[in-house]
Amino acid sequence: MGALTEPQFGEFYRGTARALWTYVYRVTGNAADADDLVQDAFCRMLAADVDALNDEDRRRYLFRVASNLVADRWRRGERERSWRERAGLVKPSSTAPVDTPTALTFGALKPQQRALLWLAYVEENSHEDIAAALGVKRGSVKVLLARARARLKALLTTKAVW
Amino acid sequence: MDDDRLVATFMRELADARPVIGPQLVEPGVLWWKAQLLRRWDAERRATAPIEVMEPVQIVAGLATAALLLLWALPSLKHLLTLG
Repeated sequence: MGALTEPQFGEFYRGTARALWTYVYRVTGNAADADDLVQDAFCRMLAADVDALNDEDRRRYLFRVASNLVADRWRRGERERSWRERAGLVKPSSTAPVDTPTALTFGALKPQQRALLWLAYVEENSHEDIAAALGVKRGSVKVLLARARARLKALLTTKAVW
Repeated sequence: MDDDRLVATFMRELADARPVIGPQLVEPGVLWWKAQLLRRWDAERRATAPIEVMEPVQIVAGLATAALLLLWALPSLKHLLTLG
């Protein structure tokens, strides 16, 4: 397989960008972060040696890169939050618009659980691909997914929003 | 409804739901050229990395040579100064 050309990339981008953005947005809960991270993920994919991969493998690679970027962003956010709390600074109030009950329930899960469920149920990734995307052991995916399912079920039952 | 079906139905609903804020995606051409630039800068950085590593080595070597020369020339300098 030859090197990825600009028109080929354009086609791949148009077929993947929206799905990747929705994944990142649902995991981070922030549209501006999703815009940045999607752009960054595509740039990193292009900078990497992905010429030998087919579109399906490139898509998997892209979701893996995006998942790593989401995890980095979340860790940085947590550090910043902890620093703000120690310094006694008040977090600026959020101006994010109110989302649907479904999205709010999903947002009550931990970021890793959101990513796990999205990759498993929406992207229909295998446990192996999920493990690679989220940097966890293959054997742990089944356990983590079961926990995420149980947590989501508990949220749905207690909140009865859905 | 078992857990798996309940979660699957919920996830399908979530995937179909339109986000309250839409994506602001850039044109693929912009990303393509941005990636090309990043690639070029990365290649340049890698090409100049050995030079950057050698710079402090050169400075240290130059200073050491100057010190050795001074030590070597010190007796002659002392001799010249006493003659004067």
